[in-house]
Amino acid sequence: MADTASNTIARAAAPDARSLLRRLAPFFGTPLNAALTLILLWLMVRLGSLLVDWAILNAALFPAEPETCAAATGACWSFVIAKSGQILFGIYPPAERWRAGLVCILIIITLVASARPSAWRPGLAAIWVGMMAIVLWLMGGGFGLVSVPTSSWGGLPVTLILTVFAIGLGFPAAILLALGRRSSLPVVRTLSVLFIETIRGLPLLSLLFVASILLPLFLPESLLPDKFVRALLALTIFAAAYLAEVLRGGLQAIPGGQSEAAEALGLNYWSTQRLIILPQAIRIVIPALTNTIIVMIKNTSLVLVVGLFDLISSGKAALSDPAWPAPSTETFLFIGLIYFALAFSFARFADFLERSGAEKRG
Amino acid sequence: MLQDVRFRAIIVQIALLAGIAALGSMLFTATARNLELRGIPLGFGFLWRPANFQIAETILPYSSSDPNWWAAVVGLSNSLFISVLVILLASVIGLFIGIGRLSSNPLVSGLCRVWVEVARNTPLVVLLIFNYALWWEILPLATEAWKLAPGTHISVRGLSMPALGWSTSAFAPVAFVGVSAVILAGASYAARRRQIETGSRPAHVSAAWLFVAVAAGIFLFAYRDVISLDIPEFRRANFAGGWSLTPELTTILIGLTFYTAGFIGEIVRGGILAVRKGQWEAATALGLSRGQTYRLVVVPLALRSIVPPLNSQYINVVKNSTLAIVVGYQDFMTVVSTMINKTSHAIEGVAIILGVFLAVNLALSALLNAYNRRIAIVER
Repeated sequence: MADTASNTIARAAAPDARSLLRRLAPFFGTPLNAALTLILLWLMVRLGSLLVDWAILNAALFPAEPETCAAATGACWSFVIAKSGQILFGIYPPAERWRAGLVCILIIITLVASARPSAWRPGLAAIWVGMMAIVLWLMGGGFGLVSVPTSSWGGLPVTLILTVFAIGLGFPAAILLALGRRSSLPVVRTLSVLFIETIRGLPLLSLLFVASILLPLFLPESLLPDKFVRALLALTIFAAAYLAEVLRGGLQAIPGGQSEAAEALGLNYWSTQRLIILPQAIRIVIPALTNTIIVMIKNTSLVLVVGLFDLISSGKAALSDPAWPAPSTETFLFIGLIYFALAFSFARFADFLERSGAEKRG
Repeated sequence: MLQDVRFRAIIVQIALLAGIAALGSMLFTATARNLELRGIPLGFGFLWRPANFQIAETILPYSSSDPNWWAAVVGLSNSLFISVLVILLASVIGLFIGIGRLSSNPLVSGLCRVWVEVARNTPLVVLLIFNYALWWEILPLATEAWKLAPGTHISVRGLSMPALGWSTSAFAPVAFVGVSAVILAGASYAARRRQIETGSRPAHVSAAWLFVAVAAGIFLFAYRDVISLDIPEFRRANFAGGWSLTPELTTILIGLTFYTAGFIGEIVRGGILAVRKGQWEAATALGLSRGQTYRLVVVPLALRSIVPPLNSQYINVVKNSTLAIVVGYQDFMTVVSTMINKTSHAIEGVAIILGVFLAVNLALSALLNAYNRRIAIVER
C-alpha cells in the first residue's frame, strides 16, 4: 500500500523533475552558463535591491510637497509629480496647456496611423497637411484662441512638432533629391549627391549652429525667421538628406522593366515616377521610414543646445526652483522614460506591422 | 525644338544652375550688408592671435596664451581622443552583446536585449545628461573614493588610474616599440607569403615573437630604474599623479560607449544570424569546438555583412562626440564656438567646423572602405 503510494508519487514527480531540469538547463547547462547565471543573478540582486530601496521603499511620493522629499532618503518622485506639467509643457501658458496636450495626442495618432502600409495612399499627404495646419493653429493660437508666440512653446509638444514637421516638410524634398540622385542629367545628379553627402557627413549639431549663428548673418533682417523656425529648418534639411537615402534604396529595388513599361505606355517622366515608381518604392521602404522617424524623435533633443525649450530644457528650468531640493536624477529619468516610451512603442508597432505584412504576403 | 528631349535637358540644367547662382548672390549681398552694418571684418587673421580662454582638459599641451589655431587643434585632439576610445571600447562590448543576445541562457540574452533597447530608444543627449546628474548624486567625495582596482579610484572628482611613466627622454622606449613592430610585421608578412606559396607556415613568426620577448626582458631590466608605474596618491583634497579623467570626460566615455555598444551589438547579431546554418554544421562535422567555430568560420563570414554598417557606426561616433557640449567637456565644437563668441568671427568659425568634420569623416570613411574591400568576397 505504502509502496504503491510512493510509486505513484515518484511517477508523478519524475516528469515534474525532468521538466524542471529541462527548464533549468539553459541557465546551468554548461559551466560557462552556470557561471554567467550566478554572476548575473548576484549583480541583479545587489543592484536591484539598491534600486528598489531608492525608487520605491524610501521614495517620496505624496503629498507632492518639498517637505515630503526632505523627509525621505530615496527618490524624490514628489518633485516629478508636482512639476510634471511644467516638464511636459515648458513655459506654455498654464491656462492653455490643454491645447498643447491636444497637439501631442493629435501628432501621435497621425504618426501611428501613417505607419500602417494600408495608409499609404494619396490621401495621406492631405491628412498630414491638415494635421500640420491644425497643430499650428492649436499651438500658435489665432482664430478664436489666445495667441502664443513660439518663444513660449516648450516641452513634449516642441519635440513632437519638430519631429513631424521636419519629416513632413523633408519628405517632398527627399523625393526630389532621391530622384535627382538617379537622374540622367549630370548637373542635377551632381548637385543632389553633393547636397546629400555633405549633410550626411556633418554632425546635426553643426547644422543647428549654422541655422542659429549664421542665418542671422546670411539673411536680411526682414526675412529672418525666429529661433524655432531656424532650428526646424536645420532639422528639415537633415531629415531630407537621410530620407533621400532611404528612398533611394526603395527606388533601386524597382526593376527597370517598370519604367520601360510606363514609357511604352506613353507616360512622361513625372507621370512615370508619380504613378508607377514612387508608390512601389515607398511601400518597400516603410519599415526604414519608421526607423527614421524614431531617429528624428531622438535627434530633436539636440535643440536644447541652440536654446529651444524642449523636454530637457523645461526639466532643467523646473529643477531651478529654489523651494525644492533639485532632484535631477529623477527628473532626467522621467524625461528619458518619456522618450523611451515614445520610441520603443513606435518601434514595436512598426515591427508588428512589418511582420503581419510579411505573413500576408508570404 | 522644345519637343527635343536633349534640348530640354540642357535648358532645365542651365535654369537650375542659374537659380542657385541667383540665390547665392542674394545671400552674398545680404551677408556683406549685415557684416558692414555690424562692423564685423572677415578673414582668418584671428587664428594667429592669442586664444585667451582656458581648456580644462587636454591631450596636447595648451595654455590660454596660445594662438586660436592651436586651441582648435587641441579641441580636435580632444574630440578624436573620445572617438577613438569609444570606438575601441564599444566594439569589444558590442561584440559580446551581439553574441550574448544569441545565447541560449535567457538571463544573458534578456539583459543584452535590455541594453540594446535602452541604447536604441533613448536620445544620447538624455543619456549623457542623466549620467552626469547620476555622477554627482551617487559618487562619494574624494576622501571616501571607491577603489575599483589597485591604484584605480573613482569619486566625484573623477576617475584616476595608474599610468606608465619614464623619467628620462621617451626616445628609448618609443624606438624599442617601433623596432619590435617592424620585426614582427616583416616576419608575419614573410610567413604569410610562404604559407600561400607552399601551404606550410614557417616558424619565422614564433621566432620573431620569442626574440622580441627576450629583448623586452633585457630592455626592462636595463631600464628598470627609468620606467616606473605612476600610481595616483591621495594628497589633501584629491588624487594626484597617474592618469586622471574628469567627471565630464568619464560621463561622455561611459554614455557614448553604452549607446554605441547597443547599436554595434545589433549589427553583430545580424551578421552572425546571416551566416548560413550549413556553415555551422560543416564546422561541427569537422570536429571544431564552439570557440573554434566562432573564430575560424563564423566571425570571418559574419565580418562581411558586419563591416559596412559598422563603418557608418564609427562615423556616427565621431559625429556624436560633438554632444560633449551638453555636459561641458571642451571638444572641437565647444572650443570653436567659444572662439566665435570671443572673436565674433562666426562665418569663419562655422566654416572651420564644417570643413574639419567633413574632412575627418571623409578620411575615416575612405580608410574603412579600404578595409571593407579587403575582406569582401572576391568574385572570380
